[in-house]
Amino acid sequence: MNFFKTAVCAAALTAMAASVSARELVINANTSDPAQRQAMEELVASFESEYPEIEVVFNLYDHEAFKTAMRNFLVSDAPDLITWNAGNRMRVFVELGLFEDVTDVWEAEGLYESMPAVIGASSVDGRQYGVPYAYYAWGLYYRRDLFEQAGITEAPTNWEEFMEVGAQLNEAGITPVTIGTRNLWPAAGWFDFLNLRINGAEFHAELMDGEVAYTDDRVRAVFDAWAELVEADFFIDNHPGYSFQEALPFMNQGDAAMYLLAPFIVSMFPEDVLENVDWFPFPIIDPEVGIYEDAPTDSFHIPVNATNKDDARLFLAFAARADVQTETAATLDMLPPNINATVAEDRFTQGGFAQLSRADGIMQFYDRDTDPALARVGMQGFQEFMQNPDRIDEILERIEAERARIYGEL
Amino acid sequence: MYPRPIQDAPRSRQIMYKVALPISLIIWLLPMIAIVATAGRSLSDLNFGNYWGIPTEWAFVDNFTEVFNSSSIGIYLINSFIITVPSIIGALFLSTLAGAGLALYRFRGRYLILALFIAGNFVPFQILMIPVRQLTLDLGVYDTYWGVILFQIAFQTGFCTFFMRNFIADLPFELVEAARAEGVSEWQILIHVIVPLVRPALAALAVLQFTFIWNDFFWPLILIQSDDLRPITLGLTTLKGQYISSFNLLAAGSLIAALPPVMMFFAMQRHFIAGLTLGASKG
Repeated sequence: MNFFKTAVCAAALTAMAASVSARELVINANTSDPAQRQAMEELVASFESEYPEIEVVFNLYDHEAFKTAMRNFLVSDAPDLITWNAGNRMRVFVELGLFEDVTDVWEAEGLYESMPAVIGASSVDGRQYGVPYAYYAWGLYYRRDLFEQAGITEAPTNWEEFMEVGAQLNEAGITPVTIGTRNLWPAAGWFDFLNLRINGAEFHAELMDGEVAYTDDRVRAVFDAWAELVEADFFIDNHPGYSFQEALPFMNQGDAAMYLLAPFIVSMFPEDVLENVDWFPFPIIDPEVGIYEDAPTDSFHIPVNATNKDDARLFLAFAARADVQTETAATLDMLPPNINATVAEDRFTQGGFAQLSRADGIMQFYDRDTDPALARVGMQGFQEFMQNPDRIDEILERIEAERARIYGEL
Repeated sequence: MYPRPIQDAPRSRQIMYKVALPISLIIWLLPMIAIVATAGRSLSDLNFGNYWGIPTEWAFVDNFTEVFNSSSIGIYLINSFIITVPSIIGALFLSTLAGAGLALYRFRGRYLILALFIAGNFVPFQILMIPVRQLTLDLGVYDTYWGVILFQIAFQTGFCTFFMRNFIADLPFELVEAARAEGVSEWQILIHVIVPLVRPALAALAVLQFTFIWNDFFWPLILIQSDDLRPITLGLTTLKGQYISSFNLLAAGSLIAALPPVMMFFAMQRHFIAGLTLGASKG
């Protein structure tokens, strides 16, 4: 009998506790990089201190596990807020009807005015489905000391200079570019930039949307330029054997001079190396073509099945605020999408900001812009191409077959 | 032919044995050595590509402290126990009952039922992802310990029953007949005759199940969302970044996660070996 009483009391207490902290906000996030993790924890903490009546439950996943988990929790017991990526990755879930329309937050908070750069990336058919908290520029990180060692005084700005830099580095016994393609996506960065520089953003967008065949001559031109690099020994050997992180020691040890990457790499340079690391935008190939950049955007989304959508909206408004974005982006080494926010005083962030400010247009990234299944086949093809440029015809036909399967015959 | 003691072998073979053994041992243990070595390195060493050399600084203490500070690994460990222990007890309890039933009673269809238990082992559990998630939702145990525990019991019972049934079937049936002749009830036979005899098998199964369930990543990932319910396998992955992983912390965390199954094995070692080979030879 005693047990029964205890049980009833416990149940009553739990019910009371539940009603006191009724404003519970569950956030599931995939931001498990050390810097991302810190930025999110700080963001949540400052939200909680501003809204003490809301209790945030923060569940962190690693990125790959998150992809599996979100397909489950979005359709069952959904959290109130998740982190995800803008662009096609968001569109997939919007089209499945799993992300909440948050156009009202954009209107109420004036985000159309304060976040002009990311309006397109977080909208589907004119409605907004997420609020970005950070984006970042891709560029070539390089070691100034190694450049000097090879007698190079200035960072290359166009294709001829870039090829020349590679030749000089090779002569000095330094591999021009390190890359680890085991995770596939680092190779896609090269494809994106070559295509954007050679064919421009309009063509790139059509290709990403499956409206152009991969066997098109213009795509072929991209691979011809890429083959030039491979044949001029730009890339380290055996790159499919390394993850992107495992390819970094080549640069830190001084065996390779450049790495096409994004700011999340900055914290991985040991201090004495970092002093000598600088950065330049991907060189211009055809001056007739405008300057377009990859700038992946990370954002918050409300699942349609969330329970506490009101407080989730409060959080979105909070995370979009200029002062909050300043803090978050600085911790992430990334850029705040809010134009009223301040960009961190650091040469990479400032450089990335300048690079994106002069850009004529912004894309997300290959595996964020195109269909996930096509991205996989495409990136496998890029990896194979970088090892065996002579197999280009088969590779393009294989990617084209996948494109046709997904988007239909042209 | 039985393996003969190495002392009886010719001298040349003894020398070969003594040379080859440490070499193969080191090769075999290389991955383990790498993990231990990585757990003692700083991240900057790893970024420099110093994977096998002498670490520039010994970071064992730092890394382990950091694992405890940067993730709630203590809670994850406790959660792993909360999930693993009831799952093992449940699976062993049910499979002993089912095994005894299938081994001791000659009813029609008993082989069919046994075959069903065995067939369950051949189902790749990933294909059950969506139905199981839906089932736990409908039962109201999604995102609770019970969701995972119930599934682990259900899934592991198949293999355990197969194991227990064969073990019990190998026991001398005269013992059961003698007890029946004395008028002992079937329950009493199970508790006082069968269970004491299958103790080695139960111990062996407990160790196996402990490693299976402790190391399982998939079901907690599907059935648990909340950070404070996660077992260690799921919790550890939060040390792995989208782009950047702190491999030294991951290695340190993995060592912590691997300790309980190893300790379990040593604690039950005697039973484990006896249980696996018992009944292997008629004698």
